[in-house]
Amino acid sequence: MINRQFFAIFVLLTTVVNAQKIQFGEISKAELEEAEYAFDTDAPAAITYKYQNTFYQTTNGNSNLVTEVHERIKIYKKEGFEYATEVINLYKGRYNAETVSKIKAFTYNLVDGKVIENKLDKDQIFKTEASYNYNRVTFTMPNVQKGSVIEFKYRITSPFIWNIDEFQFQYDIPVKKMIAEIRTPKGFRFNQTPKGYLDIVPKTTTTRDHRIDMDVVKKTYTMDQVPAMKEENYVDNIDNYRSGVMFELVSIDLPGYYKSFAKTWSDVAKTIGNSDDYEDELDKTRSFDDELDAILANHTDQIGKMKAVFRHIKENITWNGMDGKYFYYGIKKTLKEKKGNAADINLALVAMLRYAGINANPVVISTKDNTVPFFPTVERLNHVVAYALIEEQPYFLDATEEFSDINVLPVKDYNWQGILINNHDMVWRPIDLVAPPKSNRMYSLNVKLAEDGSCEGTYNSRFDKHSALRFRKQLKDIDLEAYITELENRYQGIEISEHKLTNTDSYEGYVKESFDFYDEEGTEIIDEKLYVNPLAFLIMEENPFKLEERNYPVDFGFPFRDTYMLNIDIPEGYEIAELPDPMIMKLPDDLGEFKYTVQKKPGGLGVVVNFEINRAMIPVTSYPMLREFYKQMVGKEAEKVVLSKV
Amino acid sequence: MRLLIGILLAPLLLFSQDFDYSVSSIPEGFGKSANAVIRSDVMEVNIASRRMMRISCKRVVTVLNEAGNDAVMGYVGYDDGIRVKEVSAKVYDSSGKLIKKLKRSDFVDVSAVDGGSLYTDSRVLLLNYFPVAYPYTVEFEYGLSSNNTGTIPNWFFLRGFLVDVLQSRYTISFASPELKPKIKERNFGGYDIQKQVLENSIVYSATNINMVRDEALRPSLPKVMPHVLIAPTNFYYEGYEGRILNWKDAGEWMDTKILSGQGALPESTIRMAQQLVAGVEDDLEKARKIFKYVQENTRYISVQVGIGGIKPISAAEVDQLKYGDCKGLSNYTKSLLAAVGVESFYVHVEAGEDKIDFEEDFASLAQGNHVILAVPYNGEYYWLDSTSQTIPFGYIADFTDDRNVLIIKPHGGELQRTKSYIEEQNGQYTTGEYHLTAEGKLRGKVEITSHGQQYGNHYFLETLEKLDIDKYYKNYWSNINNLFLVSHDFKNDKEKIVFKETVEIEAEKYATSQNEKMLFVANAFNNPQYAPPRYRTRNFPFQIQRGFLDVDKYSVRLPEGYQIASLPEGITLDSQFGSYQLAISQETGDTITLERSMKLNQGYYSKDLYTTFRSFMRKIAKHDKSKIVIHKKVQP
Repeated sequence: MINRQFFAIFVLLTTVVNAQKIQFGEISKAELEEAEYAFDTDAPAAITYKYQNTFYQTTNGNSNLVTEVHERIKIYKKEGFEYATEVINLYKGRYNAETVSKIKAFTYNLVDGKVIENKLDKDQIFKTEASYNYNRVTFTMPNVQKGSVIEFKYRITSPFIWNIDEFQFQYDIPVKKMIAEIRTPKGFRFNQTPKGYLDIVPKTTTTRDHRIDMDVVKKTYTMDQVPAMKEENYVDNIDNYRSGVMFELVSIDLPGYYKSFAKTWSDVAKTIGNSDDYEDELDKTRSFDDELDAILANHTDQIGKMKAVFRHIKENITWNGMDGKYFYYGIKKTLKEKKGNAADINLALVAMLRYAGINANPVVISTKDNTVPFFPTVERLNHVVAYALIEEQPYFLDATEEFSDINVLPVKDYNWQGILINNHDMVWRPIDLVAPPKSNRMYSLNVKLAEDGSCEGTYNSRFDKHSALRFRKQLKDIDLEAYITELENRYQGIEISEHKLTNTDSYEGYVKESFDFYDEEGTEIIDEKLYVNPLAFLIMEENPFKLEERNYPVDFGFPFRDTYMLNIDIPEGYEIAELPDPMIMKLPDDLGEFKYTVQKKPGGLGVVVNFEINRAMIPVTSYPMLREFYKQMVGKEAEKVVLSKV
Repeated sequence: MRLLIGILLAPLLLFSQDFDYSVSSIPEGFGKSANAVIRSDVMEVNIASRRMMRISCKRVVTVLNEAGNDAVMGYVGYDDGIRVKEVSAKVYDSSGKLIKKLKRSDFVDVSAVDGGSLYTDSRVLLLNYFPVAYPYTVEFEYGLSSNNTGTIPNWFFLRGFLVDVLQSRYTISFASPELKPKIKERNFGGYDIQKQVLENSIVYSATNINMVRDEALRPSLPKVMPHVLIAPTNFYYEGYEGRILNWKDAGEWMDTKILSGQGALPESTIRMAQQLVAGVEDDLEKARKIFKYVQENTRYISVQVGIGGIKPISAAEVDQLKYGDCKGLSNYTKSLLAAVGVESFYVHVEAGEDKIDFEEDFASLAQGNHVILAVPYNGEYYWLDSTSQTIPFGYIADFTDDRNVLIIKPHGGELQRTKSYIEEQNGQYTTGEYHLTAEGKLRGKVEITSHGQQYGNHYFLETLEKLDIDKYYKNYWSNINNLFLVSHDFKNDKEKIVFKETVEIEAEKYATSQNEKMLFVANAFNNPQYAPPRYRTRNFPFQIQRGFLDVDKYSVRLPEGYQIASLPEGITLDSQFGSYQLAISQETGDTITLERSMKLNQGYYSKDLYTTFRSFMRKIAKHDKSKIVIHKKVQP
């Protein structure tokens, strides 16, 4: 009993201590003397304290969202000097813009045992129009040295009161302590969704805010010792794993007034469905020309019609590179100008599919570069694709990418679910995209070995689906001569002739490549024996997963199957002295497989290698297995066939 | 005034009336492999007076595919000193039909700030046209005027790789003989270039120039492609008049007009500097101490405002802020050196990995993109780059080494060549040992000592975080799969400029086991496997910018119970490009010694030698892959 009580008091005390705010300008000598950050001695700098306070303010009848920031950064090494520059991005709308004010900043150094401070001059603060919708304010601190502590505060005033920026708790340098507060008027309900691997539990209280004369709900997030974020290869979007909290307004519930915004995914879908772009525009047919009628007249079945419409859109409208779930130009103007954003193109596609009598609807998504939406949200969806249901079979279409196909969407689309907006049947709900199909890469080689260690032969490859998409994108507008030079270099200096590519401009079917090759150093001669590489120049020489540990899942983008088939003729007067053993290896949970056989054949060797990864995303827990799998595979492929003289 | 502009624009107007914009009018032999064709590129520069330069430019570009969009160069930069008088564009479809007109308000006006600067007051007007079909043709046109006549655009008609040029014309006109600029023609050989000299103008034009492809090891483009350098003799620049006939004048103008008055330091700082070198007699030692102080107390931040393009911010300001750009930091170091009685000179240099010289007989303010200091000592110069906080005193490899630079002295400027780093000085010595286990695992300990230019490839390791050091070695030794970094230790001798790494590694399956035998590549620790690519036709000469010498020696211990089945034969290769030796010998029953050396000479070679060079490098790569075969001892 006594123990429990003590524990309770202890917890209470620490919480109080933890939540304690640091006063601006109160710098201790200890902070300046600190040589390294104990929890990450490598860190070039650390945010030793960050306090962020977001609240509403009404002045002269105008409401604004205000965010005050107070930040203190310790510079441990010269490499940390870059953190002495602060960049504040300010969103700019058509009629109003965010502003920053009350910038106050100091650098502190310890000189002869005394704390010396340098103030940032006003004329060292620069404002730039960074782009059409962002202003940027930058400043860099004076007199920064190894060991300096820099401290600054500022205030951002935003007229965009319903857009609360994500609270970020994790950066590329560690954070010692962070306190983030948000006060929202009671009755204004915000969704607050944490993300990342760290525990985030806010403390909630209700107080009176006299500035707006309302009761407010105050949430305080306190984070201690947040580790730095490190980049890794094959990550979908590192921001998905960054610790933080996201906000979205759910409803306003005041005495005598109630309005609900998004709450569930169905609500989100309904909200989008009720917007003009989705409500009225998709069933207007007058914007289509006779050309479409002529095309549709050639097809009697729905599948044929769907393909024809998809092709028609792709051939006539170019994507302007912009995402969007709402129109940039609108369908009519898009068809006229032959360009548009994602919504212009794919909603035009939906409208045309409907016009063709196909059951088609938009599906709104968030792409990989836009992170996963962690909670029901309208704002965080950035893209829309078309969805058709024909004889119970789902088809997803995205005409923004030149080389995408039906159910072979751009890889960035496979981020998460989609939100179906079916206004006709009043169905608004999340829907799974058809997962990316397994993509095949088939290589077949005929190789003729010569006694002098050289070899020659023919190469044929055939890619489909996402591998084909990627290859076609790479080849588009490429200077073929430079490409072949690059290919020769990649394949260890082989010489290529009769190079031929087939079906690179289409988005359907296989893309094929073939060439004749000569390899001066195809095999190694050791003591008059020939050491033959069974996979020739297609051998995987390096394991791409070099790091022992990993923090995030591995994103391959799509599942794939690589097949290698080689026929190798051996020179006259030689016989096979040694053959590598066959191998079959499987990853657990059917994640992948490797099969390898090298066999004697009349006049030579037959090699068949199969390598499959069955899932686009490999969970981080399977990383050690995946790394080992690659290691075994690279080891196996390094084995040689030995030929000796008869 | 108005009349003058009228005359200037007249030829342009004439030209547009009968121009055929259709793609079909591109002559045979052009636009085949290119991404874009410059149909016409006309620039007219008029020096109306010392304080008035007008430039008009009109470019017609047919873009053949998406990769060709950049060739339009649809932008014009300006700042407080430059007024864009007009800018417009017209877009034509492939048949030559006008499909869009863009006027000034259709251009996007953005800040020219890039990643390298915190702030600049320069701005850019960008052509905002999104093509929906290829090919298309753009006619882009602008006119600007400037009060500054200190720098004049050069004529360089190449607009990127894979771009054909049908016509390029450059006219420079001047109101009076004293405004006639200096001109230097470079690399005209083999090109159809016309020149017309009139009393008040000079016209260059080139026609039908086929595209070029980028190639490995090619010299920098100004070294090989035709261009014309143009610089004023009498001019006005940001508040100062000037007359520059030669480098002496250029230096004197810089010194008296631009640098003077920027060097003053507060009394307290001067005292601090003097205390810093108290007791030190030798000037070079003093300079070392000052340089170290600057490195430890300042950092590089670029802010470009007004004349900031050429004038450093004052030493007093750097002293207070403790940051600056190359000009500000060099000027600050110079002032601190002066405070302790050490003479140094402000130096303009064209920095970069490519060694680009200041032109011997052609003085201009336009040359150079960086500032360093020259400290004279015992008849030679020590070169200090104050923008780096980590490089050793006097170290300039890979960035400002071995090139002609302008030293600015009080009584005028002079060209000097900076320190060069030649083969033997750029040494890398790798020594160590590894042994193999019966499972084919490698355990090794290596010492890498690097000097000269190669020091620059290694010394930054000591600034990396652990994870990045791990990544570095896994990449450096990408020939060793499954590499595990056991330990590492670095010693950076900044005085002697020597960096030493001591590294322990392990790697499973380094040797491939097969039927009682094991195979492994003997050269584990310095095996870059570099050979340049093959070109069906090589067009450019090639250049080895910096030579080096690598010397490696390691011992290899075999697993117990194994003996040598085959050792690769040694080899010695000698060529004009360098030399290579590899010797692998059995020391005792289970120890092998590998000795390797490779020297690559600095040089500039004709394209005909490229194949020979490639085959030399391929031979080296092949021998570096030589394998040792061992097998289990047969039990007696």
